[in-house]
Amino acid sequence: MADEITITFDGQEVKTTQGKMVLEAAIDAGIYVPYLCYHPGMKSYGACRMCVVSVEGQRGFPASCTLPAADGMKVQTESGEVNDLRKSVMEMLIAEHPNGCLTCHRVDICGPTDICLRHVSVNDRCVTCPKNERCELKDTVRYLGMNLESPLNYKYRQIPLEVADPFYDRDYNLCIVCARCVRACEELRGDDAIGLVERSGQTLVGTSFGTSLLESGCEFCGACIDVCPVGALVERDHKWDKPRKVERTICPLCPVGCQMNVEYDGDGILIRAVPELNSPANHGQACFKGKFGLQFVNDKTRIQTPLVRRDGHLVEVSWNEALDVVATKLADYSGESFAFLTSPNSTNEEHYLAQKFTRTAMKSNNVDQTSNTQPGLTLALEQSLGYAGSTNPIWDLEQADCILVFNSNVTEEHNVVGVPIKRAARKSTKLVVIDSREVELTRYAHVWLRPTPGTELLLLGGLLKSVVEQGFQEGDWLTENCESPATLIYTLSSLDLGYISRVTQVSISDIMLAARLYGEAGASALVYALDNIQQSQSRDCVLSLVNLVLVTGNLGKPGAGIYPMRPGANEQGASDVGCVPDRLPGYRRVSNMEDREALELLWDTSIPEMPGLGLAKIVEAAAAGEVKSLFLIGDSANFSNGKLGDGLAALDNLEFLVVCDTFLSATAQRADVVLPRATFAEKDGTFTNLERRIQRLTPGRELLEEGARSEGRVICEVARKMGAPGFLLSSSSEIMDEIARVAPIYTNVSYRTLANQGGLVFKTDLKSPQPTQMLYASREDRGLQWPVDKDGFGTPILFEDGFKSRKAEPITPDFAEVEGGFDTDFPLWFVPGRVLLQQERDIKIVKGRANTIQRDEFVELNPTDAFAMSIEDGGKVVVEMPIGRLSGMARINEAVPVGVVASTSLFGQLAVDLQSSEEMEPATKVPGLDIRRARVNKVD
Amino acid sequence: MVLSFVEIGLEADSRWQELTAGQRPWIRIGTALCGEAAGAFEVADALEMALADQSVSAEVSRVGCLGLCFAEPLLDVQLPGGHRVFYGNVDAESVSEIVSVHVAGGTPIVSKALGYLAEETSLAPPPEGIPDLKQHSMKARENRIALRNAGNIDPLDIYQYIANGGYQALYKSLTELNREETLEEVKASGLRGRGGAAFPTATKWSFLAGNAAADKYVLCNCEEGDPGAFNDKNILESDPNTLVEGVIIAGYATGANKGYIFIRHGHDGPIERCRAAINQARELGFLGENIMGSDFSYEIEIALTGDSYVAGEESALMEAIEGKRSMPRFRPPFPAQFGLFGKPTNINNVKTLSYVPEIVSKGGEWFSNIGHDTSTGTVILCLSGNLKYTGMIEVPLGMNLKDVIYDVAGGMKDGKVLKFLQTGGPLGGVLGADNIDVLLDFEVLRAAGAIVGSGGLIAADDSTCIVDLTRSLIAFCQYESCGKCFPCRMGMSHLLEVLERLCRLEGTPEDLALMQNIGVNMQAGSLCGHGQLGFNPVSSALRYFGPEFDTHINDHSCPTGTCLDSRYSPAASRR
Repeated sequence: MADEITITFDGQEVKTTQGKMVLEAAIDAGIYVPYLCYHPGMKSYGACRMCVVSVEGQRGFPASCTLPAADGMKVQTESGEVNDLRKSVMEMLIAEHPNGCLTCHRVDICGPTDICLRHVSVNDRCVTCPKNERCELKDTVRYLGMNLESPLNYKYRQIPLEVADPFYDRDYNLCIVCARCVRACEELRGDDAIGLVERSGQTLVGTSFGTSLLESGCEFCGACIDVCPVGALVERDHKWDKPRKVERTICPLCPVGCQMNVEYDGDGILIRAVPELNSPANHGQACFKGKFGLQFVNDKTRIQTPLVRRDGHLVEVSWNEALDVVATKLADYSGESFAFLTSPNSTNEEHYLAQKFTRTAMKSNNVDQTSNTQPGLTLALEQSLGYAGSTNPIWDLEQADCILVFNSNVTEEHNVVGVPIKRAARKSTKLVVIDSREVELTRYAHVWLRPTPGTELLLLGGLLKSVVEQGFQEGDWLTENCESPATLIYTLSSLDLGYISRVTQVSISDIMLAARLYGEAGASALVYALDNIQQSQSRDCVLSLVNLVLVTGNLGKPGAGIYPMRPGANEQGASDVGCVPDRLPGYRRVSNMEDREALELLWDTSIPEMPGLGLAKIVEAAAAGEVKSLFLIGDSANFSNGKLGDGLAALDNLEFLVVCDTFLSATAQRADVVLPRATFAEKDGTFTNLERRIQRLTPGRELLEEGARSEGRVICEVARKMGAPGFLLSSSSEIMDEIARVAPIYTNVSYRTLANQGGLVFKTDLKSPQPTQMLYASREDRGLQWPVDKDGFGTPILFEDGFKSRKAEPITPDFAEVEGGFDTDFPLWFVPGRVLLQQERDIKIVKGRANTIQRDEFVELNPTDAFAMSIEDGGKVVVEMPIGRLSGMARINEAVPVGVVASTSLFGQLAVDLQSSEEMEPATKVPGLDIRRARVNKVD
Repeated sequence: MVLSFVEIGLEADSRWQELTAGQRPWIRIGTALCGEAAGAFEVADALEMALADQSVSAEVSRVGCLGLCFAEPLLDVQLPGGHRVFYGNVDAESVSEIVSVHVAGGTPIVSKALGYLAEETSLAPPPEGIPDLKQHSMKARENRIALRNAGNIDPLDIYQYIANGGYQALYKSLTELNREETLEEVKASGLRGRGGAAFPTATKWSFLAGNAAADKYVLCNCEEGDPGAFNDKNILESDPNTLVEGVIIAGYATGANKGYIFIRHGHDGPIERCRAAINQARELGFLGENIMGSDFSYEIEIALTGDSYVAGEESALMEAIEGKRSMPRFRPPFPAQFGLFGKPTNINNVKTLSYVPEIVSKGGEWFSNIGHDTSTGTVILCLSGNLKYTGMIEVPLGMNLKDVIYDVAGGMKDGKVLKFLQTGGPLGGVLGADNIDVLLDFEVLRAAGAIVGSGGLIAADDSTCIVDLTRSLIAFCQYESCGKCFPCRMGMSHLLEVLERLCRLEGTPEDLALMQNIGVNMQAGSLCGHGQLGFNPVSSALRYFGPEFDTHINDHSCPTGTCLDSRYSPAASRR
């Protein structure tokens, strides 16, 4: 490499690259230099001066974290003077950090309840600190060999503990003011919820005006906890517990695919989850769900044994008995009367088995996920481009010049995808948000297009038209890579921007500005979901979005591309391996004879030729009595939130329902057979995240033979009992090998190639005791982004070489306005929103054991509507909807479209609700922001 | 219709002519901070009333500071075509008399006059019986370059500045010189930064000039938070146009497209006058697009600090302008590569930039002939403390510090004896009375363990306790530490705790070693100058007055009687 340079540490030669800081070079080489404020993954800060070194030919003692490495540099990492300097600073540090045990030579043999001969008060002991033995300060003290006595006055700061906000505790008596948390919040997350307050010796971390985190704009992502070197910030649950085992696995709560280092205690209790710093999908970040929502695996109310309904009651039976019942009963429902619904957090291997079982053993194509309420999300993408997945990696978004986000509440539903978007928007990237709802990203947006609900498709038509009219078509690229877009351009020419502006209530200038920002940027990325889009428009909306990408040539390069935001954690993998009604593994078509025959040959059995029913249709058919038997994995909020009609009633209508679930949920209670299901923490397998990255799960908990089993094992056992061939697979690795043979896009994927993507990050040759800092990462797992070539390399960016074998196809959408139908009972749309912070609003925090938010909700109305209903600003109103009602104070706001009532709540409220939720898996049931029909009444 | 510079110059000259030799007497009253503190605004009000009461017609201007701060409120009367006669320490009563006898009656009050300054163009004889102010010890050895207009012109009137040669330098730069030649003049002058480090200004500029980036900034630092220093503020109050012109020329020479003048929040006089100077310059076409018809376009913005001393540190200053907490950045990267908003940036002190117009006008060589050795030009000193004459002087570098105290300032007041000088702000250090026989030269002073720094000189007599003074300096430094780097954040607090203990006469012999240890590590380990220099007050005090510390510790007594038991409750230096 051209920019490779050599520097020496205490005589040891080390190769590094130009631009690295000396400390980074040392860490890369496994050489320990103490540090407290530096954190890998954040910019250098240069405050703690622990990493000072001496450099031959240079004056003084530069901090190595801010010293750029130069070729031939000779660095001394420890010398008398350097150590004296470090010790002097440390001495001052522990003059205000409880230090009773820090400097005590007996600390290693001391327990929390031991009587201390040194008369050190409880507050001053390490053994009562939640971070004991995970503390970077303690490691550093040990490394430096601090003296027992100090000439400085020790002062315990007596700062009241902050324990009333959700999820985590803050004890600033332990804070060393390294500002890692502040920098994480600002630099990594773009939130600025916390900052430094006061100055000089009084400097401390806090919020503006000393408010609670609920008011300060905290999104409870836990990034600050993850970087805190001491016990100042800790997760509240299992606060004092120490891990006996740490396993790297994938968070099962959304499709970002965050790698988490999950910590378990000696009894296998999951005590906490720390996002992996060197992971490709999350770059050390997590969110409120992944950080605080995985503890359900420990729940005592988990189903312990199989249950079978006898005389109307579920009774405990052995596995063998339960599986016999299932196998015998299912034999009666072969064909289209059977359906299989998997959970979005089933593994690829399990999804594969489920569809194989349904197709080969049950001769039905009725297979889908319980989360797949918008099957149109990627259908058009597949038709136009050939692949149903994100074209680019998540963190490419940070390099985009413009990002367009369409109807996707990213910061709540795919939180970590929001991180690169927010970071980019705070730099020079232009952010365009299209959404009727006010969500976190609308605050970062340069343009926020807020259409009347139901008119999104028309707005996209206007956007496309404006892009073309302003000349942002990428002509050459189009000719080379696409079928002719002539029909599209012709259709666009018939659209009238003035009309579109009137119907959508978005001004022409805003449409043109959004089109210009997206069209003129060097690389524009498009992130979309179909939140609140009517089913009838979903395909055309996605076609429009794909066309936007195609006409501007935003494919095949970093910072560009299109990202569908699927709802379920492993929905990408489910479609990849054919766990959908119309596609076989690898997106082969059920309706295509050749595709079917290829599979029949591989599976050595016949497959039904009619495409099956998807989630919504299965529930409909169950209600109608056409689907009589259902195998259901896991619970889903969709059965009860109205998205599938009355889903639970439909389940009641089934003749035979098998539910494999972790808890005795509302669905499980309706089952004829309930099979206890293993969680992600007990599973081996792979997930494919939204950027097509196949990543490995590693179990951290043991399962008892009579207890919960993975659905993969259950399916194989049922199939074997039914005498179906092809289910003798014994390990997930073996199943993946079969997937690789069957699904072309998974060719060359195997557990071995996955393992080859990892590597050691540190060459650890450390003195004892091993500093905590070195534990940040010892192993890197990069996963594989399909398709994978024969050398085992994945494809981070699709279409980098353009569309050689098959041209992309700009399919013309139908922009005809779909009549929503006027509802006389509920003439308005209720549009909910949720943001981190509302500076302009007074919030009353009720302090107590747990802080709660108390405030009047504002109901925002357009002046026209307000006038028509003679509602005055500040008047009390109630919003009534078919499901639910909301009362609040009217606020007249011209920014709200006519016909819309909006109300924006605080994210803090959601955090409070989550924390106090009685739900067994609350993080999977975070309510989305659904637009509903509504009416407004005045309250006198 | 924008006037050409020549037309503007003619207009300015005629206005100046009207003031100095027109029909009406011209009364100028010093209203810089020193005057304001002494009651100049009340005097000015009284003056306006006296004129009205006595139906006397006169032109009244509120000017800046002449440097004779000890004599404030200071006003002078110039009868048409005559010389300026000064009255010091005036109050409402004497104003009335001055108006009736001098302004209306045409006769200077000899008994009350402080002195006169001759009007060059006046043919009138010098007023009889009144001393020539140029011979006053405070003025006799002065060579006013940056302060050439201070106290002479109305800072809110750009025409008065132009009439006195203002904007000639910019005109020369834009019409006769190109960017390189302008920079060459500054190089030839040998001008060095007056902020403290004395880095060659032209070299600093050439870093920025050599950077080809599209957006480049010139920053002028007027944070000036040092107790005892008031020269930056005073320049902005007395002659803001000089600075504005300097900032524009710096922008031209370095190829920058925007200048920022960074003033401490709360310095209302300097902020208001600087803002007026910028606005007037813009009106006359000295700022904006295509200045004076050239291809040079430039804007200046005023940015205010929060309430922070460290904001005067150049990288913290940039953080503050960006709207962040003013905490220093680490270097490299240096401002010339990655400065304000990540753009290449040059930062100079007010005094440095105020020399620039005269250097360009008169040529670098002229400037390089003033001063001593490589310390060219003049130094602006703020004299305060128990001196006979206090105020602000601009004397050539190379003068002896002893002469400044005993000759210029007239020695100590009331027959007291000088004990020590506190120089260069709180981070500077003290010089014992026996050690002030040094030349005002950057290298010589540095070798003597003192710095010119901000130019503040505080003289203390033997009623001042050195331990108490050190404590109060460290209390300042501690309070103003930004809290970022550990050695300074905690070291200052511990130093203060020890010094408070000494002042309570509870110190122990170990305390001196403890302070030494904290101080040395603060010096070696701190991120910016605040911590690196923060031990100077203690180390220099110990160097010259060690025995006085020993008395506090060993005899538990304070020789001056200033330090009393229980007088100092611990400051809230830590949580």
